[in-house]
Amino acid sequence: MTPTRIAIAAALASALAGTVAISERAEAQGKMTVEKCYGVSKAGQNDCQTDNSSCAGTSKKDNQPDAWIAVPKGTCQKIVGGMVKS
Amino acid sequence: MTLALREWQATFAAQLAGGGGEGRLAIHRHNISSSLIRSLGATLSTVRALVGEEFFRQAAQAFISRGLPTQPVLAEYGADFAGFIEAYPSAESLPYLADVARLDWALNVAFHSPRLEAADLSAVPPERLAASALVLAPGVALVRSAYPLDRIWAVSQPGAPEGTVDLDGGAARLLVHRRADDATFIALGEGEAAFVEVLGEGQVVEVAAGAALAVEPAFDLTAAFARLLACEVFAALRQ
Amino acid sequence: MNAVAGIGLRAPHLREIDRDRPALGFLEIHAENYLTPSSSLATVERLRADYRFSVHAVGLSLGSVDGLDAVHLARVATLVKRLEPDLVSDHLSWSTFGGRYFNDLLPLPYTEEALEVVTRNLDRLQEALGRQVSVENPSCYLDFPHSTMSEPAFLAELVRRSGCGLLLDANNIHVTAHNLGLDPRAWLDGLPAAAITEYHLAGHAVNETDSGRVLIDDHGSKVADAVWALHAECLARFGPRPTLIEWDSDIPALPVLLGEAQRAQAMLAAGGSHDARAA
Repeated sequence: MTPTRIAIAAALASALAGTVAISERAEAQGKMTVEKCYGVSKAGQNDCQTDNSSCAGTSKKDNQPDAWIAVPKGTCQKIVGGMVKS
Repeated sequence: MTLALREWQATFAAQLAGGGGEGRLAIHRHNISSSLIRSLGATLSTVRALVGEEFFRQAAQAFISRGLPTQPVLAEYGADFAGFIEAYPSAESLPYLADVARLDWALNVAFHSPRLEAADLSAVPPERLAASALVLAPGVALVRSAYPLDRIWAVSQPGAPEGTVDLDGGAARLLVHRRADDATFIALGEGEAAFVEVLGEGQVVEVAAGAALAVEPAFDLTAAFARLLACEVFAALRQ
Repeated sequence: MNAVAGIGLRAPHLREIDRDRPALGFLEIHAENYLTPSSSLATVERLRADYRFSVHAVGLSLGSVDGLDAVHLARVATLVKRLEPDLVSDHLSWSTFGGRYFNDLLPLPYTEEALEVVTRNLDRLQEALGRQVSVENPSCYLDFPHSTMSEPAFLAELVRRSGCGLLLDANNIHVTAHNLGLDPRAWLDGLPAAAITEYHLAGHAVNETDSGRVLIDDHGSKVADAVWALHAECLARFGPRPTLIEWDSDIPALPVLLGEAQRAQAMLAAGGSHDARAA
């Protein structure tokens, strides 16, 4: 067995033994722990209704969905900077 | 002459998808759009929050017109939204938006994945574990971004405190996983991300640890492994 | 299942119902929301121990000339096997054509050919589930000149040919009758009372458009007075059955739904002696 494997095995064993306080470490590093996330309140995409705005189908503007271009107006206004080129 | 039902449904479907057939048929056409936009908005809720309702509706409409769902489970509709938004001209000013869509989709997939009993790795001799490959739990996914994706996500949630995010705040590597009642993610370090990625490719633990050390010399295997265990990321030893 | 009142179980109320376990005759879920092993399904399986259930599908597309989607059918069958609900239902409509899913309950022309298509699909569905399925009358915005029979006549014949049940939605009857210029009470004539397994109730929206008033089945408000009256007529003619309150848009706080269910329950109690099935 290589020294590397022995060292790795020892590291794994101590992780499995639960010797590391995970949450403390995450907090110390400023890493975010998410409390409420993608949960049941967002699930349930299939429903059983006719959207009432569908009735606007009789008016003219709804037949030209590309006649205007919407501008992003949400929490993106909280995102600043942006010199990074991906 | 009366159309046979097949031709009749084909005509009706064509009018729904492509326009034509005005009047009350438009009620059905609009309902299909608006219900799918609503569904995409639930699945991609962070994207929607970032761009606002009006922009989201327009983007989702453009997405829908490229392809309707092919089956009725709407939680499974929108897999390629990130690819769509990446090439969507109106979203050019938001270069991080496709990454947000990837994160939303990964959370959606994790939420709908089975929660298996986590593997009891403590029963495996550590030397054998080091030489083993591990199966990641269903729904586990690594989302990488050149932007501080976790902070962008956080400020876009309902009830988030005021504050801004600097887009130059550094890259993010987010590990998405299922929990008992929901799906969530944790931010990984460079080494941790490489470790998970290489494990995900089916390599054994010591190879993954080597890859992690190569990108982050200070990589702490004990801490990383404990953290991943706590998230129930490992489903089983790969046979 | 006894003739009790229940509500459609919606995601925003899932945790509250799981925690508080309010008194309800039954819960109804949309099958398509529980076909993945999500934690929502785990919650529903927990609730199943304490509540009667109905599984209401919205996407089987019983009117599809293409036939049922084998994959979707198998998923629904797995869910039904898992929950063993008292009732299973879908709509008299279609939503799939040529491999594309139109997320809507699309109308059918009521012809002999359509009857054969729906009967064939229902036969396959009932065989796959090993049980009776009920078919709900849809809300209609269009009618078609080449229809050769009325909607209730179509449903009655469907019952005769397939042995399916009927899920009668008084709100949908009200909406359809208004939009197509029919008499809602005459619509009830000739329905096979014994086949009716469940009632649905929901709110609708009223819209004034360029071409007159259109009612939209938006499930977004309390049940309208006219619909309660029509429902009372159904109870008087056909007898009590499990009655469901549905609410899908602008979903209110749970007590509002429970209040509507109590009203439905009170009507069942008042008319409980006229059970047409028992007659």
